[in-house]
Amino acid sequence: MNPVARIGLILAYAVLGLAATGRSVVQIGTKFAEAPLPYGLSGASAVVYVVIAVALWRGAHSIALLGTAVELLGVLVVGTWGYAQPELWPAHTVWSGFGSGYGWVPLVLPVVALTLLVRQRRRQEPDARPKITT
Amino acid sequence: MGVYSGLVYPAVLTVLGALAAGGLVTLVWVRAHTALKWIVTATYIVTVVQLIAAAVVLFGGIEVSLVTTVGYMLTSLILLPLMGIGRLGEPEAAALDPDPNRPVLAPDQVARVDAVAALIVAIALAVVAWRLEILLAAGT
Repeated sequence: MNPVARIGLILAYAVLGLAATGRSVVQIGTKFAEAPLPYGLSGASAVVYVVIAVALWRGAHSIALLGTAVELLGVLVVGTWGYAQPELWPAHTVWSGFGSGYGWVPLVLPVVALTLLVRQRRRQEPDARPKITT
Repeated sequence: MGVYSGLVYPAVLTVLGALAAGGLVTLVWVRAHTALKWIVTATYIVTVVQLIAAAVVLFGGIEVSLVTTVGYMLTSLILLPLMGIGRLGEPEAAALDPDPNRPVLAPDQVARVDAVAALIVAIALAVVAWRLEILLAAGT
Protein backbone atom coordinates (compact mmCIF):
# COMPACT_ATOMS: atom_id res chain seq x y z
CA MET A 1 0.00 0.00 0.00
CA ASN A 2 1.17 3.51 -0.74
CA PRO A 3 2.69 4.76 2.58
CA VAL A 4 0.90 8.11 2.27
CA ALA A 5 -2.47 6.35 1.92
CA ARG A 6 -1.57 3.99 4.76
CA ILE A 7 -0.66 6.79 7.18
CA GLY A 8 -3.72 8.76 6.04
CA LEU A 9 -5.90 5.80 6.95
CA ILE A 10 -4.13 5.39 10.30
CA LEU A 11 -4.76 9.06 11.05
CA ALA A 12 -8.41 8.91 10.02
CA TYR A 13 -9.01 5.83 12.18
CA ALA A 14 -7.07 7.34 15.10
CA VAL A 15 -9.21 10.49 15.01
CA LEU A 16 -12.42 8.48 14.64
CA GLY A 17 -11.27 6.18 17.46
CA LEU A 18 -10.61 9.19 19.65
CA ALA A 19 -14.06 10.64 18.92
CA ALA A 20 -15.85 7.32 19.44
CA THR A 21 -13.91 6.56 22.63
CA GLY A 22 -14.70 9.97 24.13
CA ARG A 23 -18.37 9.67 23.20
CA SER A 24 -18.73 6.11 24.52
CA VAL A 25 -16.87 6.80 27.78
CA VAL A 26 -19.29 9.65 28.57
CA GLN A 27 -22.34 7.64 27.45
CA ILE A 28 -21.43 4.43 29.29
CA GLY A 29 -20.10 6.27 32.33
CA THR A 30 -23.06 8.57 32.86
CA LYS A 31 -26.24 7.11 31.30
CA PHE A 32 -25.70 3.51 30.24
CA ALA A 33 -29.01 2.30 31.77
CA GLU A 34 -31.01 4.70 29.56
CA ALA A 35 -30.01 2.98 26.31
CA PRO A 36 -27.72 -0.02 26.85
CA LEU A 37 -27.77 -1.24 23.22
CA PRO A 38 -26.73 2.03 21.50
CA TYR A 39 -24.24 2.96 24.20
CA GLY A 40 -22.75 -0.54 24.30
CA LEU A 41 -22.41 -0.39 20.53
CA SER A 42 -20.69 3.00 20.77
CA GLY A 43 -18.09 1.35 23.00
CA ALA A 44 -17.71 -1.56 20.58
CA SER A 45 -17.25 0.78 17.60
CA ALA A 46 -14.57 2.70 19.52
CA VAL A 47 -12.68 -0.56 20.13
CA VAL A 48 -12.98 -1.51 16.43
CA TYR A 49 -11.57 1.87 15.32
CA VAL A 50 -8.62 1.69 17.71
CA VAL A 51 -7.86 -1.93 16.70
CA ILE A 52 -7.88 -0.98 12.99
CA ALA A 53 -5.59 2.02 13.57
CA VAL A 54 -3.09 -0.09 15.55
CA ALA A 55 -3.29 -2.98 13.03
CA LEU A 56 -2.57 -0.63 10.13
CA TRP A 57 0.34 0.91 12.01
CA ARG A 58 1.84 -2.47 12.97
CA GLY A 59 1.35 -3.85 9.46
CA ALA A 60 -1.15 -6.51 10.63
CA HIS A 61 -3.16 -6.29 7.44
CA SER A 62 -5.33 -9.37 8.07
CA ILE A 63 -6.58 -7.85 11.35
CA ALA A 64 -7.10 -4.49 9.61
CA LEU A 65 -9.03 -6.22 6.83
CA LEU A 66 -11.23 -8.05 9.35
CA GLY A 67 -11.73 -4.86 11.37
CA THR A 68 -12.79 -2.77 8.39
CA ALA A 69 -15.17 -5.54 7.24
CA VAL A 70 -16.74 -5.60 10.74
CA GLU A 71 -16.94 -1.80 10.67
CA LEU A 72 -18.67 -1.70 7.28
CA LEU A 73 -21.09 -4.44 8.33
CA GLY A 74 -21.80 -2.55 11.58
CA VAL A 75 -22.51 0.74 9.79
CA LEU A 76 -24.84 -0.95 7.29
CA VAL A 77 -26.69 -3.09 9.87
CA VAL A 78 -27.05 -0.35 12.51
CA GLY A 79 -27.95 2.27 9.88
CA THR A 80 -30.66 0.08 8.35
CA TRP A 81 -31.89 -1.20 11.72
CA GLY A 82 -32.17 2.35 13.03
CA TYR A 83 -34.52 3.27 10.19
CA ALA A 84 -36.51 0.02 10.38
CA GLN A 85 -37.06 -0.02 14.16
CA PRO A 86 -36.25 3.44 15.56
CA GLU A 87 -37.92 2.57 18.89
CA LEU A 88 -35.03 0.19 19.63
CA TRP A 89 -32.52 3.02 19.22
CA PRO A 90 -33.46 5.77 21.71
CA ALA A 91 -29.96 7.23 21.43
CA HIS A 92 -27.51 7.67 18.56
CA THR A 93 -24.29 5.76 18.03
CA VAL A 94 -21.35 6.51 15.72
CA TRP A 95 -22.95 4.16 13.17
CA SER A 96 -26.53 5.54 13.43
CA GLY A 97 -27.95 7.00 10.21
CA PHE A 98 -25.05 5.32 8.34
CA GLY A 99 -22.62 7.61 10.21
CA SER A 100 -24.48 10.83 9.33
CA GLY A 101 -23.50 12.39 12.68
CA TYR A 102 -19.85 12.13 11.60
CA GLY A 103 -20.32 13.37 8.03
CA TRP A 104 -20.80 9.79 6.73
CA VAL A 105 -17.08 9.19 7.31
CA PRO A 106 -17.89 5.89 9.16
CA LEU A 107 -19.55 4.67 5.93
CA VAL A 108 -16.99 5.93 3.42
CA LEU A 109 -13.81 5.11 5.36
CA PRO A 110 -14.23 1.30 5.54
CA VAL A 111 -15.03 1.19 1.81
CA VAL A 112 -11.81 3.09 1.02
CA ALA A 113 -9.78 1.00 3.51
CA LEU A 114 -11.20 -2.30 2.24
CA THR A 115 -10.45 -1.33 -1.36
CA LEU A 116 -6.83 -0.49 -0.54
CA LEU A 117 -6.30 -3.54 1.69
CA VAL A 118 -7.86 -6.00 -0.78
CA ARG A 119 -5.85 -4.49 -3.64
CA GLN A 120 -2.67 -4.88 -1.59
CA ARG A 121 -3.51 -8.49 -0.70
CA ARG A 122 -4.10 -9.33 -4.37
CA ARG A 123 -0.77 -7.77 -5.26
CA GLN A 124 1.02 -9.83 -2.59
CA GLU A 125 -0.69 -13.14 -3.38
CA PRO A 126 1.28 -14.09 -6.51
CA ASP A 127 4.55 -13.60 -4.58
CA ALA A 128 3.32 -15.76 -1.71
CA ARG A 129 2.48 -18.77 -3.92
CA PRO A 130 5.24 -21.41 -4.09
CA LYS A 131 7.02 -21.35 -7.41
CA ILE A 132 7.02 -24.69 -9.29
CA THR A 133 10.15 -25.31 -11.25
CA THR A 134 10.50 -28.11 -13.75
CA MET B 1 -18.10 34.79 26.67
CA GLY B 2 -18.36 37.74 24.30
CA VAL B 3 -14.61 37.71 23.61
CA TYR B 4 -14.70 33.96 23.06
CA SER B 5 -17.65 34.00 20.63
CA GLY B 6 -16.75 37.25 18.88
CA LEU B 7 -12.98 36.97 18.59
CA VAL B 8 -11.41 33.65 19.59
CA TYR B 9 -13.91 31.29 17.93
CA PRO B 10 -13.86 33.10 14.53
CA ALA B 11 -10.04 33.28 14.69
CA VAL B 12 -9.86 29.53 15.34
CA LEU B 13 -12.17 28.77 12.40
CA THR B 14 -10.17 31.10 10.12
CA VAL B 15 -6.85 29.44 10.96
CA LEU B 16 -8.41 25.98 10.62
CA GLY B 17 -9.79 26.97 7.22
CA ALA B 18 -6.28 28.05 6.23
CA LEU B 19 -4.92 24.74 7.58
CA ALA B 20 -7.37 22.72 5.47
CA ALA B 21 -6.61 24.85 2.40
CA GLY B 22 -2.86 24.53 3.04
CA GLY B 23 -3.25 20.77 3.31
CA LEU B 24 -5.12 20.59 0.01
CA VAL B 25 -2.60 22.79 -1.78
CA THR B 26 0.38 20.82 -0.39
CA LEU B 27 -1.24 17.57 -1.49
CA VAL B 28 -1.21 18.87 -5.07
CA TRP B 29 1.89 21.07 -4.95
CA VAL B 30 4.51 19.69 -2.54
CA ARG B 31 6.51 22.94 -2.47
CA ALA B 32 3.73 24.53 -0.40
CA HIS B 33 4.91 22.36 2.52
CA THR B 34 6.95 25.24 3.94
CA ALA B 35 3.85 27.44 4.09
CA LEU B 36 1.89 24.57 5.63
CA LYS B 37 4.46 24.37 8.45
CA TRP B 38 3.80 28.03 9.26
CA ILE B 39 0.05 27.40 9.29
CA VAL B 40 0.60 24.41 11.60
CA THR B 41 2.48 26.70 14.02
CA ALA B 42 -0.40 29.20 13.83
CA THR B 43 -2.83 26.35 14.58
CA TYR B 44 -0.89 25.43 17.71
CA ILE B 45 -0.97 29.06 18.90
CA VAL B 46 -4.64 29.68 18.15
CA THR B 47 -5.67 26.36 19.76
CA VAL B 48 -3.79 27.15 22.96
CA VAL B 49 -5.37 30.63 23.03
CA GLN B 50 -8.78 29.01 22.48
CA LEU B 51 -8.23 26.58 25.37
CA ILE B 52 -7.17 29.39 27.72
CA ALA B 53 -10.21 31.46 26.70
CA ALA B 54 -12.51 28.45 27.09
CA ALA B 55 -11.05 27.73 30.54
CA VAL B 56 -11.65 31.35 31.58
CA VAL B 57 -15.29 31.12 30.42
CA LEU B 58 -15.73 27.65 31.96
CA PHE B 59 -14.45 28.63 35.39
CA GLY B 60 -16.14 32.04 35.25
CA GLY B 61 -19.27 30.65 36.84
CA ILE B 62 -21.32 29.21 33.96
CA GLU B 63 -23.52 26.13 34.26
CA VAL B 64 -22.17 23.54 31.88
CA SER B 65 -21.17 19.85 31.94
CA LEU B 66 -17.60 19.99 33.21
CA VAL B 67 -16.71 16.46 32.04
CA THR B 68 -17.91 17.02 28.46
CA THR B 69 -16.34 20.47 28.12
CA VAL B 70 -12.99 19.42 29.57
CA GLY B 71 -13.19 16.31 27.35
CA TYR B 72 -13.50 18.46 24.23
CA MET B 73 -10.68 20.70 25.43
CA LEU B 74 -8.39 17.71 25.97
CA THR B 75 -9.35 16.36 22.54
CA SER B 76 -8.13 19.62 20.97
CA LEU B 77 -4.77 19.13 22.67
CA ILE B 78 -4.50 15.45 21.70
CA LEU B 79 -5.21 16.24 18.03
CA LEU B 80 -2.40 18.79 17.70
CA PRO B 81 0.61 16.39 17.65
CA LEU B 82 -1.02 14.35 14.86
CA MET B 83 -0.10 17.18 12.47
CA GLY B 84 3.57 16.21 12.77
CA ILE B 85 3.05 12.51 12.03
CA GLY B 86 4.99 12.82 8.77
CA ARG B 87 8.21 13.19 10.75
CA LEU B 88 7.84 9.62 12.02
CA GLY B 89 8.41 8.41 8.47
CA GLU B 90 11.67 10.29 7.95
CA PRO B 91 14.62 7.90 7.42
CA GLU B 92 16.41 9.09 10.60
CA ALA B 93 13.34 8.42 12.75
CA ALA B 94 12.57 5.08 11.09
CA ALA B 95 16.19 3.92 11.55
CA LEU B 96 15.78 4.11 15.33
CA ASP B 97 12.80 1.71 15.24
CA PRO B 98 13.49 -2.04 14.83
CA ASP B 99 9.92 -2.57 13.50
CA PRO B 100 10.26 -3.77 9.86
CA ASN B 101 6.76 -2.49 9.05
CA ARG B 102 7.67 1.08 9.94
CA PRO B 103 7.16 3.13 6.77
CA VAL B 104 10.15 5.10 5.50
CA LEU B 105 9.08 8.13 3.49
CA ALA B 106 10.76 10.20 0.80
CA PRO B 107 10.66 14.01 1.35
CA ASP B 108 7.71 14.48 -1.01
CA GLN B 109 5.83 11.70 0.79
CA VAL B 110 6.51 13.37 4.16
CA ALA B 111 4.97 16.56 2.75
CA ARG B 112 1.92 14.64 1.48
CA VAL B 113 1.46 12.85 4.80
CA ASP B 114 1.61 16.23 6.58
CA ALA B 115 -0.94 17.55 4.07
CA VAL B 116 -3.37 14.67 4.75
CA ALA B 117 -2.82 15.07 8.49
CA ALA B 118 -3.49 18.82 8.26
CA LEU B 119 -6.72 18.19 6.39
CA ILE B 120 -8.01 15.58 8.86
CA VAL B 121 -6.94 17.51 11.96
CA ALA B 122 -8.43 20.77 10.59
CA ILE B 123 -11.84 19.14 10.18
CA ALA B 124 -11.66 17.40 13.58
CA LEU B 125 -10.51 20.58 15.38
CA ALA B 126 -13.25 22.64 13.69
CA VAL B 127 -15.89 20.17 14.91
CA VAL B 128 -14.44 20.28 18.44
CA ALA B 129 -14.35 24.11 18.38
CA TRP B 130 -17.96 24.20 17.18
CA ARG B 131 -19.07 21.79 19.93
CA LEU B 132 -17.19 23.84 22.55
CA GLU B 133 -18.85 27.04 21.33
CA ILE B 134 -22.31 25.43 21.57
CA LEU B 135 -21.61 24.06 25.06
CA LEU B 136 -20.23 27.30 26.44
CA ALA B 137 -22.95 29.43 24.81
CA ALA B 138 -25.66 27.17 26.27
CA GLY B 139 -24.19 27.53 29.74
CA THR B 140 -24.19 31.34 29.79
